Amino acid sequence: MANVKSEHFNAVYDFLQNKRPAETTLADVLELAEISARTMQRFFADMDSAVYRELREIAGYIESLKREIGALKANEIKSSRIPAAGQELSAVCKATEAATNTIMECAETVMAADGRDPKAYKALVEEKMMLVFEACSFQDITGQRISKVVETLQLIDERVSRFAKAIAARDAGGPATEKERLREERRQRLLLNGPQLGGPETSQSEVDTMFP
Amino acid sequence: MAVDLTMPVLVVDDYNTMIRIIRNLLKQIGFQDIDDAADGTAALGKMREKRYGLVISDWNMEPMTGYELLKEVRLDPGLAKTPFIMVTAESKTENVIAAKKAGVNNYIVKPFNAQTLQSKIEAVFSD
Repeated sequence: MANVKSEHFNAVYDFLQNKRPAETTLADVLELAEISARTMQRFFADMDSAVYRELREIAGYIESLKREIGALKANEIKSSRIPAAGQELSAVCKATEAATNTIMECAETVMAADGRDPKAYKALVEEKMMLVFEACSFQDITGQRISKVVETLQLIDERVSRFAKAIAARDAGGPATEKERLREERRQRLLLNGPQLGGPETSQSEVDTMFP
Repeated sequence: MAVDLTMPVLVVDDYNTMIRIIRNLLKQIGFQDIDDAADGTAALGKMREKRYGLVISDWNMEPMTGYELLKEVRLDPGLAKTPFIMVTAESKTENVIAAKKAGVNNYIVKPFNAQTLQSKIEAVFSD
């Protein structure tokens, strides 16, 4: 918003400086009104252009924000990308569980088999080992599924990073929601750190030294 | 092995596969009476109905974790002396120290092998 500047009112000030109240006539009052009107016209003209400039800047910012929000494709992420990634991970869990069950069933059958007939025992072991090999083929498909999930995460990361940069986002302190706060509080209170990347942080032999 | 293989053992884990693995390993060692529970609350309920000679528990479960189960067990005069082994992927030193302070008898870091499980059970009962 344009500031009121003293120079806008110099003409009014000069006029009043040169007049004594006792000498003021109707013509003087009219002249003063005319000077005031001209002064205000200049003031409002200056103010209009400043307001216009600022409004234009705001409109430009809103326009670019709309473009960035559009590029984020939040609805697509929510309704398509994330559910699809969830389905892929669910399929991975099911495939690994099925493969594990098959392998364990084979192992349990072999462990429980009667070894008194070597020929029959050998045939059983060979049959179960073939099933184990087949079950291990899950790794190829789950690897491809996980690659798709990683691709989705990378896409979301790119879009969110671009949006955060465009609006110069600054992270708020603390958890975003009450649910998040409770989850984090539980994690810290119950020491739920989860598996460490690159293997156990404390090896079994190090643990053993704590239980002599 | 100075362990009574007839004693009931309770395996606590929220993954059926892990329960199955531990159950098979325990059978291989010679245990026959093996029960399981999917979290601390279920385990506590079973422990109050049947006297177990050993509890083998995971840490990270919901709603009640193995760490909470351990603390509850040690606070309950009827259960306090039950041998308790933690089998978990929680491998930070702070976890091991917290479990020891809470009264765990031994601690196994996942992934583990049959030899480790057997040696820890033997260690618990040789004390």
